[in-house]
Amino acid sequence: MKSRFNLILVGVGGQGLITLGRLIGEACIRAGLNVTVAEVHGMSQRGGSVVVHVRIGEGDSPVIPLGGAHHIIAMEVLEAGRSARYANRDTVMVVNDLLLPPPLAKHPGKKEVIDALKSKLERVYIYDAEGVSKKIMGTPISSNIALLGFSLGVNPALESLISRVAVEKALEAIFKEKALDLNKKVFEEAFREGRSNIGG
Amino acid sequence: MHPVLARKGETVLLMGNEAVARGALESGICLAAAYPGTPSTEIVETLSEVAKDLKIWVEWSVNEKVAFETAYAAAISGVKSLTAMKHVGLNVAADILMSSAYAGVKAGFVIVSADDPGHHSSQNEQDNRWYGFISHIPVVEPSSPREAYYFTKESFKLSEKYGHPVILRTTTRLSHTRQPVTLEEDLPASPVCKGVFEKAIDRWVLVPGHAKKLKIKLLEIWKKIQYDTSEPFAKIINPGMKDVIIASGIAYSHVEEALRIAGLESKVTILKVNMPVPVPRKPVEEVLRNAERVLIVEELDPVVEKQVKSISKELGLACEIYGKEYIPENDELSLQVVYNGICRFSGKCDPVMWESIGELKLEPQIPPRPPVLCPGCPHRSSYYIVKTALNKAGIRKVIFTGDIGCYTLGFQKPFETQMTSFEMGGAIGIAHGLSKVVDEAIVAVVGDSTFYHAGIPGVINLVFNKGRAIPMILDNSVTAMTGHQPHPGTGVTAVGEPTVRILPENILRAIGFETFVINPLKVKDSISVLAKALEEFKDGKNIAIISRARCALEVLRDARKTKTVLPVYKVDPEKCTGCLACVNLSACPALVLEPDSRKPVIIEELCAGCGLCASICPFNAISVANTPTQDWEKLW
Repeated sequence: MKSRFNLILVGVGGQGLITLGRLIGEACIRAGLNVTVAEVHGMSQRGGSVVVHVRIGEGDSPVIPLGGAHHIIAMEVLEAGRSARYANRDTVMVVNDLLLPPPLAKHPGKKEVIDALKSKLERVYIYDAEGVSKKIMGTPISSNIALLGFSLGVNPALESLISRVAVEKALEAIFKEKALDLNKKVFEEAFREGRSNIGG
Repeated sequence: MHPVLARKGETVLLMGNEAVARGALESGICLAAAYPGTPSTEIVETLSEVAKDLKIWVEWSVNEKVAFETAYAAAISGVKSLTAMKHVGLNVAADILMSSAYAGVKAGFVIVSADDPGHHSSQNEQDNRWYGFISHIPVVEPSSPREAYYFTKESFKLSEKYGHPVILRTTTRLSHTRQPVTLEEDLPASPVCKGVFEKAIDRWVLVPGHAKKLKIKLLEIWKKIQYDTSEPFAKIINPGMKDVIIASGIAYSHVEEALRIAGLESKVTILKVNMPVPVPRKPVEEVLRNAERVLIVEELDPVVEKQVKSISKELGLACEIYGKEYIPENDELSLQVVYNGICRFSGKCDPVMWESIGELKLEPQIPPRPPVLCPGCPHRSSYYIVKTALNKAGIRKVIFTGDIGCYTLGFQKPFETQMTSFEMGGAIGIAHGLSKVVDEAIVAVVGDSTFYHAGIPGVINLVFNKGRAIPMILDNSVTAMTGHQPHPGTGVTAVGEPTVRILPENILRAIGFETFVINPLKVKDSISVLAKALEEFKDGKNIAIISRARCALEVLRDARKTKTVLPVYKVDPEKCTGCLACVNLSACPALVLEPDSRKPVIIEELCAGCGLCASICPFNAISVANTPTQDWEKLW
């Protein structure tokens, strides 16, 4: 393979991006794939921008070049907009339907950011990940898992690399008992909703 | 089970730092000591998590020098050991580093220097490979997390072979990247943990007469390492080409992929250097003899480049050697940057790998999210309190010297209570020096962990040499910035065992400071205590301030665990006049102004219940909105 599969995860510190990166890494091991999961964050413990670079396939260089993302998972709308520089025209982007503006800063609205993304990308999906997490878990805590399920649903190229089975095995390595069952449900439901978006 | 305890043959997802920890455990270490510092922290943190199970000694020492000495002492007594620190931490330990090369070791000893190209969380991006030259200690540099595991083990072997310390140099991108690692061996059933200190006065006592002799031996070892080392510390890939790329550390991973993308992998010979100092001599000679053009790809300084050029000159070779002409000398390298450099060097590839859609053009633009003090952070209250108290005491012109920690974020508006920040413990020495040459009042702000690390000599000097500055210790009783590692003021050790708690007020009082301890959650009381304290300062006394409350992140975590309800505040829109004093004086991320509104609201999910905003509000418009658990204050 000439190029690895490049997956960018973006959001705000505290949203569960590092866990999501680990989960995908664990899923890759279970799918027999090489992977690098690089966490890029500054000094802030919470509330700062976080970018996780996941690169699947042979090779060790961890950071994805600008324009090099095949798929982007954004846990927050402004961070989705900020991640545009990693996208090319063919990038698939899944955006959590959530706006968390930094304090006291002037910022564009949700619709403006999404419209701007859609004007440049063919495949932008907005997903209410908090909704599915709240429905099944009672809290937004599994929004990250929902966005991964939805991403596998709308992007068969990603699903052909890390199968649903591999993700479920990875969930088993991270969660136990009730939390495991509920997270599997969140993942499956989000996958189905994603797939129905592309007519599957 | 912790992934670093997995069995031989298993494939586990390890962060570079965890991979170093596993490699060290497989090598049979029985002691590890460190002071936390990004990006090195997780190495010894991981070891601390498994120390009790494995019956090895792991500690957070007060600073890098003490950590180094602790680990080195084990190694000169025949017990394998490791110390780890961030790049600037090695400056603190540099004294013992130099001496350790003269006296050597009796068991494997590895010093991990976790460098930070791109200064993601550091004051500089110094390239610690240079330390290899000034100390005559070889520097090993892996190119991936997986190799960090492998080369940790190779570093221990090298150290044992020559009875010499070895520096393992990693960089942020490797330290904080996870990768599947297939484990080659099980952990040793019973590593050597009992040492024997053999009296060898002529070896362990570095008086000039002994050191002179040891230096001769040291140079012999240095030469041997240079001339006798080849694989695995250097590897020639696709030999025989006229174009040669020499790459060291993580730069190799970028080179490998860049050549693949450019379709040049079969047209270039690569020398992969895993020991940049000293560069293994034979493989360098071998590739240079065939080469016409050579490009050296390495992060930061031209460390390998200078050595390769010097070897080429010695041999009288005619090949052209390039390095920093094509590869930047500052900032972290990436696939993109290396690809661009190789394209310019070879003139053979399309410089565009992927076409980015670019930044979105929006009005207003997407705002940055700079790091800020967390909601509920006691530093925020401490800063408000000290500034208000100074004002009350009529002290208008104040210089705040600063230090290294979360509280460095106080450099920002509205606080500006960090006007310098150079190195660990620097606030106090700088304050002392300033007090000799300026007229302003000086407050030296330093965190608790930093105070133990390097602040104590500074406060002693301040009193001894009659400086006029107020040390202010922001004490959250933990090393918060690197992820809450315990220190001498915490009351537990690295592995969670209870130990004596050494309080900074006892140290300061013993030195001669009249010391005032405040609780930043009690804003009004604290202001009046400090206002009184400042009167004493004006009378010429030595005063010191300790502001003590736990890190809000720890409090929130414990509240979740113990199901304690913390207070949550709300703004009463009836009483609020929209003066925005709360917003402008606290800069708390939980206080927001909705678009088109003049009155702020508090985001319930973010509010940690510190109550600073309520203390600031001149109209009593902010109050507790819920029913907190009784005794919630105990968590702080």
